[in-house]
Amino acid sequence: MRQLLNSDLELFVESDFIYLPLLFDPEIEKETQALLQSGRAVENSGETESKIIVKIKDIHFIKTLSLHSLLKNYEEINAYSYKHLRNACLQKYHLTREVDSIFFGETLNTILFQVMPYFVRKNRGLQRKNLSDEEILDFVGEKIHIPGRYYKEAETFGDLQPLQAILKGLEDEKPIYKPPVNGLFTGRKLREWLHEAVHANVLASEQKRIAETLKVREQFSQAKPKHIAILLYLADTGSLEIDGFGFTRKNGYKGEYFVYKRVGEFVLKDYYARSYLFPACRVAVSTYTPFRPFVMEKYKHPFLLRHKSGQEICMQHFAPPNEFTAENAIRILEEGLTALRYGYNARRRNGYHSLDRTWVYIPTIDFEDYRI
Amino acid sequence: MNLLHHIKHTRAKQKRKQPIKRDVFNQICSLVKQYDLKESFLSVLDNVEDDLSGENLKFNRVKLKAPMESSLFSLATKDEYSLTMSIIDKVNNSYLKFAHSPEEILLCGPLYRLNPTLGPEKLMRYHFETLFLHERAKANHMKT
Repeated sequence: MRQLLNSDLELFVESDFIYLPLLFDPEIEKETQALLQSGRAVENSGETESKIIVKIKDIHFIKTLSLHSLLKNYEEINAYSYKHLRNACLQKYHLTREVDSIFFGETLNTILFQVMPYFVRKNRGLQRKNLSDEEILDFVGEKIHIPGRYYKEAETFGDLQPLQAILKGLEDEKPIYKPPVNGLFTGRKLREWLHEAVHANVLASEQKRIAETLKVREQFSQAKPKHIAILLYLADTGSLEIDGFGFTRKNGYKGEYFVYKRVGEFVLKDYYARSYLFPACRVAVSTYTPFRPFVMEKYKHPFLLRHKSGQEICMQHFAPPNEFTAENAIRILEEGLTALRYGYNARRRNGYHSLDRTWVYIPTIDFEDYRI
Repeated sequence: MNLLHHIKHTRAKQKRKQPIKRDVFNQICSLVKQYDLKESFLSVLDNVEDDLSGENLKFNRVKLKAPMESSLFSLATKDEYSLTMSIIDKVNNSYLKFAHSPEEILLCGPLYRLNPTLGPEKLMRYHFETLFLHERAKANHMKT
């Protein structure tokens, strides 16, 4: 079927059925002649009259697939193509999960408007002022470069008419797609029609979502296009970093993020007051449990069990919270940062490993290469 | 043989795998598709006797039969089907199903007229041109 729709082969469409050019061998020719002579090429199937074989411009066409059935089962027939078409359709009207997460989701709003202001330097000089949401978006706009296409998308995002028309059509229960006119089609032309019909079906299945999106967009209709462009950029990329603070979308988790803060190089001293220079890294917390600080990079430290990436920082008396809130995220990141830089006690040699080699030395993680 | 044995024997015979018989339509249709033959081939087929009457065909070396894997069931478009049927109608002899190339289709008629009793083994093994030259030489020898 895929090959047929990608070809220039001439097909005939009548009463929602695809007729393909008939291929011959002597047996088929005999049967065709018999059918045409006896007039049984026309059969009554239900209400409408449809023929098994039709002859157009001296070419015989045979009845094959039902367009209605093809469309109904397109998801099962060609899952890859359906997914591709669905994504394209949702992206066209900004109905993707990522856009939803930024306009409906609490998590990203919390990170962007509550956690980020705590860690970044917002004001110049000695000013101390809490920023409003709009001011934060302006601040983000100053700090990062937003590609031009997001400004264009912001304009189309603000145009509610296409979605309103679709929703009205769905509510009025109008047919969601026009069946093709009876006649000859090339495979490619029929494929175009099929894709349009799949788009219409996808939109019909997302009726509830369209209604919700329209409500939210009406609220955002007064927002500056620049702000919408920033939000669309964040929805698309799923990551941002300003002044060492950032967040990045977790792969494979819906609407979940890693929120991180960079730590520069720092020095720790061992029992004999020898200095060890530790490289920069990112201390992060996930928006999805467990709410414990961890180091994103491959890293070794007395408070990390091994030398690998994504290790939780060992902290005594730390009770992880049960939910992700701005206060909790800030506290976890602060505790993690503090533990890495100031938590090691050279006298007590606390943590999993000690910086200096002890009398009973079991080589696990060695810090000799960090010594300065 | 009693009745029981007879029934068992006929049933065993029915169950046995039957080799697919060479079908002239499949063979020629495969050639039409493989060599993308057109209607013009029919006019070449009409004039083949004139080409063979002169000294056009000389025995230089033994021509090998081109290996060919024809499909078990050929389905053709309207044009291919009508060309295939025209070729079959025009040539209309039992050697046609052993042709492995358009060249052999052309030689089918003349070869059949020279000797209509060639066995399938020969027809399967040797190129029709070789057989034709052989038969013609034999006929010339008989005359002299």
